[in-house]
Parts: sequence; C-alpha cells; structure tokens
Amino acid sequence: MEFKVQLGPQHPALHEPISIRMTLDGEVIRDADLRLGYNHRGVEKLAESRSFIQNLYLTERICGICSFSHQTCYTQGVEKLMELVPARRGLYIRTLVCELERVHSHLLWLGVAGQEAGFESFFMYTWRDREVVMDILDWISGNRVHYSMNTFGGVRRDIDEMQRKKILDTLDLLKQRTDYYLNLAASEPTFVGRLAGVGKLSRQQAIDLCAVGPTLRASGVPMDVRKDDPYAVYDEIPFEVSTADSCDVLGRAVVRVKELIQSYRIIEFLLKNLPEGPFKVKAPRKVKPNEVYSRYEAPRGENVHYIKSNGSDKPERLKVRAPTLANYPATIAMLKNGFIADIPLIFAAIDPCICCAERLVQLDDGRGRGRVLRFSELRAMANERAKKIDYTKREIAWPF
Amino acid sequence: MSLRIAPFLPELLRSLFKKPVTVRYPFEKTPVPAGFRGNVVFDPAKCIGCNICVGDCPAEAIEIIRVSETEKKFKMILHNDRCIHCAQCVDSCPTKTYRMDGEFEIAVLNRRQLKIEYK
Repeated sequence: MEFKVQLGPQHPALHEPISIRMTLDGEVIRDADLRLGYNHRGVEKLAESRSFIQNLYLTERICGICSFSHQTCYTQGVEKLMELVPARRGLYIRTLVCELERVHSHLLWLGVAGQEAGFESFFMYTWRDREVVMDILDWISGNRVHYSMNTFGGVRRDIDEMQRKKILDTLDLLKQRTDYYLNLAASEPTFVGRLAGVGKLSRQQAIDLCAVGPTLRASGVPMDVRKDDPYAVYDEIPFEVSTADSCDVLGRAVVRVKELIQSYRIIEFLLKNLPEGPFKVKAPRKVKPNEVYSRYEAPRGENVHYIKSNGSDKPERLKVRAPTLANYPATIAMLKNGFIADIPLIFAAIDPCICCAERLVQLDDGRGRGRVLRFSELRAMANERAKKIDYTKREIAWPF
Repeated sequence: MSLRIAPFLPELLRSLFKKPVTVRYPFEKTPVPAGFRGNVVFDPAKCIGCNICVGDCPAEAIEIIRVSETEKKFKMILHNDRCIHCAQCVDSCPTKTYRMDGEFEIAVLNRRQLKIEYK
C-alpha cells in the first residue's frame, strides 16, 4: 500500500527549513516533491536599492559558508561592467582566499557527512582541522566567516612575507590530515558500508538534470568552471578536475577529499608565485548601462550572478542562482527508490544551503507586466490559502 | 584499497591522552589577529564632513552631524547595533578618520547602549 508523508519544513534531520512530500511504499520512497520558500529573505530586491559598494557586503551575506564565492562572483561581474582590469597581485590573493574557503567548506562537509553516517568522531576530527584553515583566514582577512576581502579592482588587504610563510607551514599539517581522511574514507568498513550505493545518480541523469559541483563530478562528468571558463588566475594554475565514477554518496565524499588535495596544490602554487606590485586599482563609482553574467565555481558547484546596470551607482537587477538550486532536480532523482533513513545523507551529500536558494517567483499569464508584491498582499494570500485547508482531519480520534 | 578493521583506532587512542583543543573561553582568550575588525573608532579632529562614509556604509550605521555653524567641526554617531564590522568606512575615508580596534566582547543587554557618540 502506498501512502503519502510530509517531512519538514521543521525536522531534526534537516538543518534548514525545506519540505519533502513523499509517496512511500513501505520504507521505500517511490516519488518525492520538494517545497521551498520557508526562508525567503528578499536579497535580490534589497540589492536594487543599494549602491554597488554596499552590495559587496550584502552579497557576501547570502551564504554563511561560501560567503566569499557569492562576493567574488558579484565583484567579477561588476568589474566586467566597469571594464576594469583588476591588479594582478590582487587576483592572486583573491584566488588564494577562494581556495582557502573551499578547504574550509569541504572539511565542514566531511564532518557533516560523518555525523549523518553515524560516525561522530570523524566529525570531531575534521572540524578540529578546519579550525586551522579558519585561523589562516582570520589571520589574513581579519574575520573568520565574512572575510570582506574583495573590492572592485582587487582585494582590500595585502599579504606580507610572514603570513605567506605561516600559511605554507600550516599547509603541511592539513595535507597530512587530508591524506589520512582519504585513506580512511576508502578503508573504514562502517563508513564505506553506510555511504556506498546510497543516492545513486547515473552519469546521464546528472547531465540531464543539470547537476553542478561535486554532485555532478561524482557521476563521472569532469565539469568545473575553473577549468571550463577560467576566471581570476585559474588559467595559469596547474590543477586537475577531481571526479569519481561510483555515482553515490561515497563518490561525492571522495571527490571532495580529492578536491581538498588539489586546493592545497593551488594554494602552494599561488603563494610561491605571488607577483609583486599593487593589490588594487582605483574603481569608478558609476557603471555604464550594460548587463553581465558572472560564473564562479563555489565549493557546492557553479554559482551564477546576473547583474544589470543602468548608468547609476546602483544595479537595476541582481539575480543570484545559488548552486543548491541547480542540484534540487538531481536530489529528487536520488531520493527515488531510496530508503527514508537515507534522506539526511542524500540531502547532506549535495551540501545544501537552502536559504541561499530561496527566491520568490510570481507567474503571470504572459500578457500583464511584472508587478511588485507588497508584504501585506503576501500575507493576505497566505491567509486566503490557510482558509482553504481542510481541518476536518484534526477532529479524527486517535485509533489506539 | 581493501577494507580494514577499525583503522580509526590508533587516532582515537592517541587523542585519548591529549588535552582538549577547545579554548576555555571566558577564562582564557585567544588573541585577535592584527587586522581584526572590531569596533569602529572615529577621530573628530580629522573629519572634513564629506559624508562618503555615510553613503558607503552598507548597514547605514553612521551619522555625521555638523557641530558648529562657523567652524568645520563634526561629530559622529555610530549605531553599533546596526554595524556589520565590514570596515568599508576605513577604506572610504579620504582623511583616514576611521580605524578598527580589537574589541569583540560588545554584547550588552540594552540596545540603546550601543549608540556611541564621538565628539
């Protein structure tokens, strides 16, 4: 017998509000549907009323973990609009912070995966090692989470010789630890037994459903914006795109650990080849009317910002496509024919950042123009909907 | 790579005899880095009243008010409850009126106490 169950939006297994409506056959999920919109923040609309410089800090706050990826994506877009060539040293430092952020994000994910798989000590150790990266970031940018390193035309702070040496020294420790995790991820029977074969996404499915980031690469598709459409100084850096062929959660873990090792190589290269010269150039305040589409490989996948300017010092439109949004269709495919107990693991494997992906969409019949929805209207709509809910079920007595 | 029994065990045993890596915070404080972005500090003597900082502040936390009619003297009101500690004012100021200090324990029970006036 099939029956329908709703999981979330508030549920201990999910760290952020999202709702899954499932059709179950016993413990097996036959069909799933995702409902979003529980944590809409109106970032895009807010960006339209702020100047380009103010938006630097707004875009940074779209995400708490990949804050630098949103800020860099936005900065690169606006630099293209300004027709500004950033300082070379600034680009090197920017790329360095990008990779340090990737290291901290992947170590965080490894811990979460360990915790979801019931391997608490793994969680403790990866998060302990993550503190090393957080300290480096704290040291070069002044803060642990929101680095605020970007500005139009380069970065806001330089790296001195002492910082360079210290980062290179601490990298050895991180490398050693990551090698250990790679070894562990492939040889610990409980970990492998829990992750292998869960959340299958075939190569063709991953391409068809437009998955991005480690989810896509774990299905054997070597796609990475850093290689395919290099930004900053990625075209000068030797690195490989990490892939796995197992198409499951274990593959996604392996891809992330391999990416960590690549990131250490990139950081080492950047620090050894850091060019001399200024780290930022002066940027204009106003931007010519134009539009731009900026791509960035965030730790979770391809991040896209669309920016339209109208000649003033404020953007006319900022559209953010966070990587999590692109991974939702693939998640539904992964959930199908899986067990209920695998939901937290499958969800954790796309490294979801649910609040980053929340957008308000209003569909019209195609004839009318777009219109602004007021908060009062939204509330009225919600009340209207609440009236239609069938409350008769509440009256049903509990049969036992 | 073949599966082994409890490859995690040596690491666990080693950690058993180490002291915890966490810092006992209120009693023991980790030093902040040199470039830490703490509170905004304003020097009224240097201010020329150009209001660039007011326009650039993403949190709208800065107010610059002219004190005297005849002289070019200004005071600044910092709404520290809104401040996001991004240090854009430090970058924007043409006369280097602003700097950031290393203070991070700024939580108070009353929000009004976070309104700071620099004269």
